Amino acid sequence: MRYIKLHEETKVPIFRNVVYAFRLVWKADWRLPVTSLLEEFCNSFLGLFVRNILFLKTLLTVIDSNGDFRQYVRYLLWFLLVSGLLQLGQWYGSYANRASVKLVLQRLNNKLFQKACTLDVSCYEDPEFYDKYQRATTVLSDGYFHLLCIDLAVIIGDFVSFLLVVATVISINPVYLLFMVPAMLVFAVETKKSRAVYRRDFAMTTNNRVKAYIKRTMFLRDYAKDMRTSNIFLVLLQRFETATRANLVILKEYGLPLFLYSTLSSLLSEFIPIVGTYAFAGYQFIQGAMTISGFSVVLTAINSVNGATWALAECFDEISQMALFFSNLRDFFEYEPQITDGELEAGKFESLEFRDVSFTYPGAEQPSLSHVSFTLHRGETLAIVGVNGAGKSTLVKLMMRFYDPTAGEILYNGRSLKDYRLESLRGVFAAVFQDYRNFAVSVNENVMCRDCNEDDKQRARRAIVQSGAWEKISSFEKQGDTVLTREFEEDGAGLSGGENQKVSTARLFAREFEIAVLDEPSSALDPVAEAQMYNHLMEATQNKTVVYISHRLSSAASSDRILVLDGGKVAESGDHRSLLQEGGIYAAMFRKQAAAYRTGKEVASDA
Amino acid sequence: MHNKEKETKQSVTTIFSNVIYFIRLMFSISPLFVVTDLIWGVIQFLPPRLISVLGMKRVIDIVESGERLERIWGAVIVIAVVLGVSHLLSWLYREFYWNIAREKLSMGLSEKLYSKARSLDLSQYDDPEYYNSFILTIETSADNIQNLLNLVRNYVSSLISFFTIGTVLATIDPLCLVIILAVVLTFLPLSRKVGALQMGRRKDNAALHRRSDYFQRIFYLQEYTKEVRMHGIRPLLVDRYNDAAQAVVDNQRKYWKKIAFFGGVQDFGIQTLGFLFLLLLYLGYCVLVKKSLSAGDFVASFNGAYQIAMSVNFLTVWALSVFSERGKMIEKYREFLSTRPKLKDGADTAPCAEPETIEIKDLSFTYPGNDEATLRDINLTIKPYEKIALVGYNGAGKTTLTNLLLRLYDPTEGSITIGGQDIRDVTRPSHIDRFAAVFQDFQTYACTIGENVAMDKAPDAGRVLQSLEKTTFRKPLPDGVNTELLREFSDSGVMLSGGESQKMAVARAFYKNCPYAILDEPSANLDPIAEYELNRAMLEGAAHKTVIFISHRLSTTVGADRIYVMENGRIVESGTHAELMEQNGTYAYMFRLQAKKYAEGSEEEADEETDA
Repeated sequence: MRYIKLHEETKVPIFRNVVYAFRLVWKADWRLPVTSLLEEFCNSFLGLFVRNILFLKTLLTVIDSNGDFRQYVRYLLWFLLVSGLLQLGQWYGSYANRASVKLVLQRLNNKLFQKACTLDVSCYEDPEFYDKYQRATTVLSDGYFHLLCIDLAVIIGDFVSFLLVVATVISINPVYLLFMVPAMLVFAVETKKSRAVYRRDFAMTTNNRVKAYIKRTMFLRDYAKDMRTSNIFLVLLQRFETATRANLVILKEYGLPLFLYSTLSSLLSEFIPIVGTYAFAGYQFIQGAMTISGFSVVLTAINSVNGATWALAECFDEISQMALFFSNLRDFFEYEPQITDGELEAGKFESLEFRDVSFTYPGAEQPSLSHVSFTLHRGETLAIVGVNGAGKSTLVKLMMRFYDPTAGEILYNGRSLKDYRLESLRGVFAAVFQDYRNFAVSVNENVMCRDCNEDDKQRARRAIVQSGAWEKISSFEKQGDTVLTREFEEDGAGLSGGENQKVSTARLFAREFEIAVLDEPSSALDPVAEAQMYNHLMEATQNKTVVYISHRLSSAASSDRILVLDGGKVAESGDHRSLLQEGGIYAAMFRKQAAAYRTGKEVASDA
Repeated sequence: MHNKEKETKQSVTTIFSNVIYFIRLMFSISPLFVVTDLIWGVIQFLPPRLISVLGMKRVIDIVESGERLERIWGAVIVIAVVLGVSHLLSWLYREFYWNIAREKLSMGLSEKLYSKARSLDLSQYDDPEYYNSFILTIETSADNIQNLLNLVRNYVSSLISFFTIGTVLATIDPLCLVIILAVVLTFLPLSRKVGALQMGRRKDNAALHRRSDYFQRIFYLQEYTKEVRMHGIRPLLVDRYNDAAQAVVDNQRKYWKKIAFFGGVQDFGIQTLGFLFLLLLYLGYCVLVKKSLSAGDFVASFNGAYQIAMSVNFLTVWALSVFSERGKMIEKYREFLSTRPKLKDGADTAPCAEPETIEIKDLSFTYPGNDEATLRDINLTIKPYEKIALVGYNGAGKTTLTNLLLRLYDPTEGSITIGGQDIRDVTRPSHIDRFAAVFQDFQTYACTIGENVAMDKAPDAGRVLQSLEKTTFRKPLPDGVNTELLREFSDSGVMLSGGESQKMAVARAFYKNCPYAILDEPSANLDPIAEYELNRAMLEGAAHKTVIFISHRLSTTVGADRIYVMENGRIVESGTHAELMEQNGTYAYMFRLQAKKYAEGSEEEADEETDA
């Protein structure tokens, strides 16, 4: 089995991205970094220096010098006070921190939503960008900002404590620093090691993606029937095992280098400092040049230095890994959409002209549309038909400026689409998509797309009646106020595919629009519901401009004009009658579809 | 209050039993890993801790005794050897064995869970509570659950350190240990309080997060992009998000105020007041006034007490809250792994040869948890090689009926027999083997197209291509049947359009050598030409099979041997197309409605033909 390597190790400027992220979080809520610093500083100062070094040294000095017990107790009381204050700081920091974290999440999410809505639709369809985007979003939801604040706070706190510890050791005997220098080198070894781990994990990315995908198929409802009625289970299991085995090879490959790094780092951080200090202190004891308090403090200092370097190494490692995520977020926030706003307001609709429009999806080789030209006038009904993949949906996407044409121009009332404000242009269209979506808000809100007052609710109700979903909706206790899906509302309503489609179609009935775009609005409906829906749509769009996309030709027959797309080109254009006369693709399609019904009719009339 | 007390007490035993269950589960997958992992924990942590207590004491004692200072060298050598060996061993283990064994353990666990998931009844997937709280929870946690072993290891090694160092302290001065234990026992009950608060916070947060995460997802996911851009619904969704997010912030404030307070009091009590004040006061008294302890004893007790203070926190507050949280997760695994399917296997092996008569007798079916029956009093007989069409409105029960035929569910009443044998009397795999099924919500898998068509390992290339050809599948395949589908993890994967994937799905029915085929809406995504061709191919290609198909497009049903019209779970009409048109019932109504437009067209076409 072949797995594709994603890309080589990516290098991102760590400092710049961290500064960027810090600015973001500072602007979102400055209390997060400040309270993190308070919490972590108190914590490390108390743990690394005050308790283990300062207290021990002071008390041992009293003991060593055979000092009196009252002096000893006085020191203890002081320590009680200092330690209590530091713990108070830690306590307040941790309290203020936790609410602030969520606040930062909320504020940054708002920023992200705003940006997301200006993103080009093409971004979502570009796997690389989308991947980046997904990773950018995990920066928020996985609490990376909190981690960054904590890491920075730990770095500051540990560094200060570290300096104090070193100063104390120097005051005892600078020679002991010799044994602690290796402990500081651990930093470099650990950085190397974590790079190796990162490379190893990166090498396993694709395999892990396979594993994650297979896990999904094993548990999700969508796949449950196939799992039970076929042997696809075995196929997937085999892939799962292959991916695991590929991981094992990678893990084995990295065994030796990681062992060397790890052992080296233990040697530097623990073995040499501890054994060295014992040995040198032993020598000094024999020489009579060492006190017990000095010896104890130096040995304890090793622990503190170790603790500080490990924590620092970990923090730097975490930060450098986060930098990649932050750079994704930054790319996302700094992305300039290709589809930019114009200045004009899209006024009353007169005409929409496609002038020699060609379009190739980014990364695709074949154009999806080539040299398409037609004009849509006010009040016309235009049906776009064609086999799957002929470019029907693409045409609609261009119309709404989800994409801009690769060549040619689209004109709204004689001006290029690019001249209009996006929101105003898109407001012209009322669209029902093939892949419609409803939201977990109330039925009324789904229809009106805003918070509903009484007036809105009435309008929503009329629209729902028109779309044919009222019978179902009215059966709920809260009627139009019922929240859709059981996502998080116990009494939420689960609708069937057809009912969902009706609710999303009701949006069209509920609003003012210039052009209705109906992309297969009836695919999930049964014949009777389809006919009803069709009638209502015709009613609602009477005297309106309608673009209707369907591969059911029955609905095309009554359109003013039919555009037949074939391989991205306009193959035929005209009304139903003239197209049948032409005897081209449309006529062939229509005959085939009608044939079955015609036999029926004959049978019926025979009877 | 009393009740609450009881509840937490109970939960300590459940936590314990859950952890034991977890260890046994891991043990059953890889005994060696579990055992060595625990030993590793001890080797890794105990020696350095012991050295900082005993090593120091030994050296100071030698110095204090003032004679034969050369004995220090002996102590230094012992320390060097112990430290060196423990480091070497633990890294050898970790980098050469542990990493690899863990990946294997993960695979073993996953396969266990996957097999379990597959063996569950479909009705368990329908039950939203079971689905959400077990299947989905396990899906999201399956990769992390084994990390619990790290926690267990740390816990065990901390516990061992705790006792070892405790013993050392007791030998120095038993009263030291008494003071330590008294302090710990005084302030420990607070950790329960903190644990309960944390649990409450997490529970509330989870509920609140579900809401905010949902609205967040809308902006994150691809599938909502068009709707969000076209309908101006954004402000509403952002508002909803902010309401939910604000609720999370408020909840955090509410709980953390208390959690930080109680946690702070406990920390202060144990670490500062207990160990830094009371214990040191006593030690100082012993050394300076009573002169019963040496300076070496003082340092050893100071270091030992500090380590015990640190591990007390870990062993009680922290571990207890984490264990109880994870314990709930383990409980889910426990229940999930012990769920037994309700559908029982029969004893016989079903024949997979020529089609036989399928007979459905007085069949009724109610989905578990529903009040109303989805199917009522269904009676029908399908003769070998017949082509049967099921038609009806949405929700009439057509798909449910095919689900029962496949024995994804058992009927509430009545029976289904094939060739006279109740399908409950045969083994489920052998029963399934005789059916080829194409579902309305068919899935495409990120496998090769060959595997996608065969839905099995080692597909027969020739037959895969043949089957695809029959469906008029025309997408070029760069690697033939080995072409990978979807971009899930192969950038060169081929993406199929809606219509092509549907053809691919129908090809599954052609590929499988079996007497019966079930096709649910096989042409919904197809354009007219493809639909026409597919219908013809279906009837030809499946000539040697009994075929049951469900369709909304009545044009497909015309050629069926028999049509069953379903309404509200009942069969209301049945017969051939001609008979049903004559009856002039629901079918005829539906058919005319659909045919109307084409009828107009064909008249015009007729005109045109006469013109010509």
